[in-house]
Amino acid sequence: MPQLVTVRVERPDGRPLRIWVPVLPVVLVFSPVVVLAVLGAAVACLVFRVNVARAFGAAWRIVTASPGTRVDVEQGRTAVLVTIR
Amino acid sequence: MNEQRKDVLDMLAEGKITAEEAEQLIAVLERDQTPPASSLDTRPKGKAKYLRVVVDAIEDDEPTRVNVRVPLQLLRAGVRLAALIPPQALAKATAEMNKSGVPFDLTQLKPEQLEELVEHLDEMIVEVDQSEARVRVFCE
Repeated sequence: MPQLVTVRVERPDGRPLRIWVPVLPVVLVFSPVVVLAVLGAAVACLVFRVNVARAFGAAWRIVTASPGTRVDVEQGRTAVLVTIR
Repeated sequence: MNEQRKDVLDMLAEGKITAEEAEQLIAVLERDQTPPASSLDTRPKGKAKYLRVVVDAIEDDEPTRVNVRVPLQLLRAGVRLAALIPPQALAKATAEMNKSGVPFDLTQLKPEQLEELVEHLDEMIVEVDQSEARVRVFCE
C-alpha cells in the first residue's frame, strides 16, 4: 500500500516546488468521495457484466504494487519528479 | 546521513549559507544520487524488480531526459485488470486499431500469454539510438 506520494517541480526560475501527499490521511479525508467512487465502479462492473470481486481484487493489486514507481522528466531547467513510496 | 549532506547542514548551522541555498544544494545532491540507468552489460543478475524506460533527447535545442521506473509487480497487476476487459470492448479496440493500420487482434491475446510476457520481460533489452535521441528499455 503506498504511504507517500512526492511531487517535485523545478521551474525555470530555479524555485523548486515540493509536495508531499500522505496517502492514508488523504484517503480518510476524501473517504465519502472514495465510497461514492467505489459504488460507481461496482455499478459500472455490473452494467458491463464484469465480475465485481475480480475487478476490485485487480484494482487493489495495482494500488498495492504501485510503491517504487518513479517518473522523472527534465527539460532544460524545468523538471518534474513523481515518486510513490 | 551522507557526508555531503552533512557538510551542507554544517554550513547552514555555521551561517555560511542561507536556508534557501542549503535546500538548493541538497536538491542537487539528491538529483546526483538518483540511481543511474544501470549499464546494460553490468546489471546484476537475478530476478528483476523494475522496468526502466530512459530517454535522452534534444528537444527545442534543450536536453530532455525522461526516466521512468515501474515495478514489474505493477505490470502484472495491470495484466490481471486488463484480463477483465469485456470481449465487446476488445473487439471495438481491435476494429479501431485495424482502421489505424495496426492489424492486431486483441481478442486473440490471452491473459496467460500476457503474464508470460511480463515474466520474461527481465530478459528484454530495447535500445534505440538516433542522432538526437536515445531510448533504452530494460529491467533491473
